[in-house]
Amino acid sequence: MFEYRKFALNKLAGIGTRFLPFADVASDDVPLSRLLRLSLFQVTVGMALVLMVGTLNRVMIVELNVPATLVAGMLALPLVFAPLRAIIGHRSDNFVSALGWRRVPFIYKGTMLQFGGFAIMPFALLVLSGFGEAIDAPRWIGLTSAALAFLLVGAGVHTVQTVGLALATDLVPERDHPKVVGLMYVMLLLGMIVSAFAYGALLENYSPGRLIQVIQGSAVVTVVLNGFALWKQEARNRMRAMAPPKQIAFGEAWQKLTESRGMITLLAVIALGTAGFGMADVLLEPFGGQVLGMTVAETTRLTVVLAGGSLLGFGYASGWLAQGARPMDVASIGALIGIPAFGLIIFSAIHVSTLLLMVATFGTGLGAGLFSHGTLTATMRAAPRAQIGLALGAWGAVQTTSAGVAIAMGGVIRDMIAQDMSGGTFGGVLGPAAAYVPVFGLQAALLALALLVALPLRKIVLGKRETETGLDRKIDLSI
Amino acid sequence: MSDDPNKVWPTGLTLKEAEEVHSYLIDGTRVFGVIALIAHLLVAVSTPWLG
Repeated sequence: MFEYRKFALNKLAGIGTRFLPFADVASDDVPLSRLLRLSLFQVTVGMALVLMVGTLNRVMIVELNVPATLVAGMLALPLVFAPLRAIIGHRSDNFVSALGWRRVPFIYKGTMLQFGGFAIMPFALLVLSGFGEAIDAPRWIGLTSAALAFLLVGAGVHTVQTVGLALATDLVPERDHPKVVGLMYVMLLLGMIVSAFAYGALLENYSPGRLIQVIQGSAVVTVVLNGFALWKQEARNRMRAMAPPKQIAFGEAWQKLTESRGMITLLAVIALGTAGFGMADVLLEPFGGQVLGMTVAETTRLTVVLAGGSLLGFGYASGWLAQGARPMDVASIGALIGIPAFGLIIFSAIHVSTLLLMVATFGTGLGAGLFSHGTLTATMRAAPRAQIGLALGAWGAVQTTSAGVAIAMGGVIRDMIAQDMSGGTFGGVLGPAAAYVPVFGLQAALLALALLVALPLRKIVLGKRETETGLDRKIDLSI
Repeated sequence: MSDDPNKVWPTGLTLKEAEEVHSYLIDGTRVFGVIALIAHLLVAVSTPWLG
């Protein structure tokens, strides 16, 4: 009897840690399968983005009859949190934990927020649209709850993506960073494409019950995928747990990050380039339909071509960077491809050629892929080991904000010119294209500006390569 | 490692570590609780089930 108890005790003690979510050792090389598993968090991010910006955008306007301006306002809410990414990243860099963890607690909390937002979102939307008895309910209930749902999902997405990327950067040595960046982008794109098709198929026969099932299903999928992605990824750092690093205020850390290595310039390039590539994201399909007379199926193919170009760009960028190309060179090539591609889009409007537009769209996708890969890799490499979270937070804040602002601006410019045109002052030879051409022109101009700003940066990045390892070592010792 | 007196059975975590893991569990329960409450309120607004 006594023997049996001892045996059971030993057995339990032996298997104990197998059921806890930490990696026991921080090994030098992380196998690709583990990185692939980690990159699943990007799939949930892509899923959330598609659901909010694509699917719900349509469902709220068409099926739920919510005013379009209110929908736009709700969807823009998560953008408010984008600048907070830098603070989230900084806090995860300096997180004090008895377990010696820095990233896992944040991804866990971010996942919780995302789950919570999705869990209340369908009911909030139904109340907002006055479904059932909600028609008599005070208006503020629907408004505040829908706003809360979108804010929760947005905050969750920002946290998960920022800290998840920081974790990925922690895990692999610098020479493998391009591989990780490529993987993360591909998974994001894949998550967006797959979930766009899935949501489209699931919501084909719309009913309120189906909406609830789909959104809450996304909540469950988010938790499951993020949990699977995170399991046993971050090693416990005993040294860090025993002697927590000195707490650094955000302002101080920010100053330290920005004062060296052209970080501000890099962020400016990212802002300009992202705005340049992203401005026409939502205008491309209406442009194809309105100006070139393409059918819905054809304009959808346009989006597929864009995604295909981006995929190819990520692939090429990963390959070149692995062979030792400099990240800023790759990003510059991307911008260089983008400028003539946007020119070609304008050209396609003049010649009314669908083929030209397809080629040009592919070119912008390719350029965007190279540019985003190059700049994210550059950010990862420029960040000191102790500030990876902050650097990636800054990257995310700048990238998300500029993409959001650019998309909104593109739409506003298009609408303003289109309105002006109906008055008869514009138009002329271009016809309906006149509303779009200035946007594409502005994109090319922004890319040219990004290239110009990036020029001095290439010299700095070139010069710092020797000093970087020394600096990294110094910081590691001080921890 | 096994001579650390703070280790608790059966996971081999120290007391402080175990408490941290537990704090995440508590956090999660609270968040789930509040979310469930809000969700129920919203459902009650659109399709009341209590008279």
